[in-house]
Amino acid sequence: MVALRFLRALSLVRCSGPGARSPSYRARGIRRAAYACMAASAGPRRAWSRALLRKIRRRPGRGLRRPRAVIRRRRPVGGGDPLEVALRRLVPGGGCMEYCRLLEEAADYVKCLAMQVRLMQTIVDSASHVNSID
Amino acid sequence: MLRGQLQCLSPRFLLFCSFPSSAASFSILILILLLLRRRRRRRLSELKNIAFSPFACFSRRFFVSGMEKERFFGGGWKSAHAGLLPEVSAFAGDEHLPHSFVGFGWEQPVHGQEAHAQQLESALSSLVSSPSSNAPDGNDSVVIRELIGRLGSICNSGNVSPSSRCHSAHASYYSTPLSSPPKLNLAGADHQRQRMLVNQVAAAPFLADQGFAERAARFSCFGAAEAGQLSRVSSRQSLAKEVAASYAMMAGSSSSPEASSASEKLTAVVAEHNARKRKAAPKGKGKAAAPSSSSAMDPPEEENSDSKRCKAAEAGGADKDAPVKPKTEQNSSDDGNAKPPEPPKDYIHVRARRGQATDSHSLAERVRREKISERMKLLQDLVPGCNKVTGKAVMLDEIINYVQSLQRQVEFLSMKLATLDPQLEFDTETLLSKEMHQVHVPLPQQVLFPLDMATSAFSLAQLPLKLAENPPDSMFSSLQLPPIDHLANLWEDDLRYVVQTGFPQSQEAPFSSGALRAE
Repeated sequence: MVALRFLRALSLVRCSGPGARSPSYRARGIRRAAYACMAASAGPRRAWSRALLRKIRRRPGRGLRRPRAVIRRRRPVGGGDPLEVALRRLVPGGGCMEYCRLLEEAADYVKCLAMQVRLMQTIVDSASHVNSID
Repeated sequence: MLRGQLQCLSPRFLLFCSFPSSAASFSILILILLLLRRRRRRRLSELKNIAFSPFACFSRRFFVSGMEKERFFGGGWKSAHAGLLPEVSAFAGDEHLPHSFVGFGWEQPVHGQEAHAQQLESALSSLVSSPSSNAPDGNDSVVIRELIGRLGSICNSGNVSPSSRCHSAHASYYSTPLSSPPKLNLAGADHQRQRMLVNQVAAAPFLADQGFAERAARFSCFGAAEAGQLSRVSSRQSLAKEVAASYAMMAGSSSSPEASSASEKLTAVVAEHNARKRKAAPKGKGKAAAPSSSSAMDPPEEENSDSKRCKAAEAGGADKDAPVKPKTEQNSSDDGNAKPPEPPKDYIHVRARRGQATDSHSLAERVRREKISERMKLLQDLVPGCNKVTGKAVMLDEIINYVQSLQRQVEFLSMKLATLDPQLEFDTETLLSKEMHQVHVPLPQQVLFPLDMATSAFSLAQLPLKLAENPPDSMFSSLQLPPIDHLANLWEDDLRYVVQTGFPQSQEAPFSSGALRAE
């Protein structure tokens, strides 16, 4: 599932700006696409995927925020454990969760991240291999 | 107040007696209804909802008779009649009257209206006589509960469920021993439950034995006290079982020597149970109540009743006893183990371990701690190289480092992909056709899919060879290399590398399950 989405997204990114954009811009676009595919394939059931999609879709230029009542900051962190705080920062949407939930989401996030990394690695390897053939 | 109202109504009552009897019944009922409406508007409407449907057919027959007054009262008739009969029965305070009323209502709708009117008059007279007893509010609730219970017994149990919110609890409590327990929302407070149970016991008509009613009330008190110690509110089922057990107690009988031996055996078991709590197990409650009640209550007959209760509860829950006993023995043998597998019920069962605090806070904390440790174990399996590490802090540190490294890798790879030659084309059509095959692929092997897809995409793009005859199923049967004979040998190393590096089976199990869960 992820692979299909990602490959489609990649092709889109490539088609959109083949030579007009700088590689760094494309890199950022690819990174965004990677995270978006990961979150989309994880499904809306996961808190981190929802938070990640929200972060991606929210363009920084947009000033008008929708007045949707989102319950944020259900449980502000006690902030005692620096490790916990660091983990919250790493996992998307980790600021509002309980510790237990945070660990669960972190596990799922790690799983999907690892899969995404492996996928991208394969693509890069195949692409480079193809390039090296020719 | 009610008497005054009725007395002022009595001349009207006489006046209407001259009318045809059905009209008289209509008017009388409506007057009484209006009168009662003043007192308790809300409860009446709720009772109307209760009694509406079974009385609908009754009232409909009166409609068919075609009286003008009927039409006049028509809108109010159904509700009035339906609401009124129970009220009348409530005010009558007589056990026989409502049954006869309703029986009359069901059997002789149109005929015998004179008898009907007479019954109404008798009802009214009793009504006049009895309002004083119903003046205090405390009794009203009891009466209402009684009434609802009777209605519950008479009508379908399904009619009770749409009844009042505030009385649904009472109604359900009442009808629990009578019929199958309808839906119930427990208020939750111990004393409230206790009060309700006591009221229920008091109102139950077939608890003829006063002494047993007291015992049952005390039992409910113990049950409530015990429930106060539990960290979760027990479900209606447990209470229903308790009540059923108590009633089974009543039905059964045991001799005192049997009872004493049974109580001894039970106390022995309960002593083992004492350190542990078992939620929603009425047997557990009964057993826990047994030693406490035996200590508290001196008379042997109380012990008899408790042992009886426990016995019946045990007999009732005999199937539960077997798994519980070996579990408790197992627990006593090894204390440090995690709690045994929980039975699949609505909520989590928690067992307080031997020699540990049993109050709700520490219990909840222990549950939380165990959850956290469980999740940490999961994470440990995911993060490579964390098997030797022990301790939460170090584990967390490792996890954080791993997540950071993964995110950095994503960045790096995306940069690399961007700098790659954009001339590569991805043939998404064949990929889509492949995905159709993927639907039938067993999910545990889903992990292999992305990489194979990636490689096949490239192969399709670069080489004219079609991978259509390379079905994905053969790839996913095992962790062996996919058949690459018809692929160019150039891919072989690449695929081998891909297949070998990433797929130790131990990692894939949680991975694939996670993918499964995620999708």
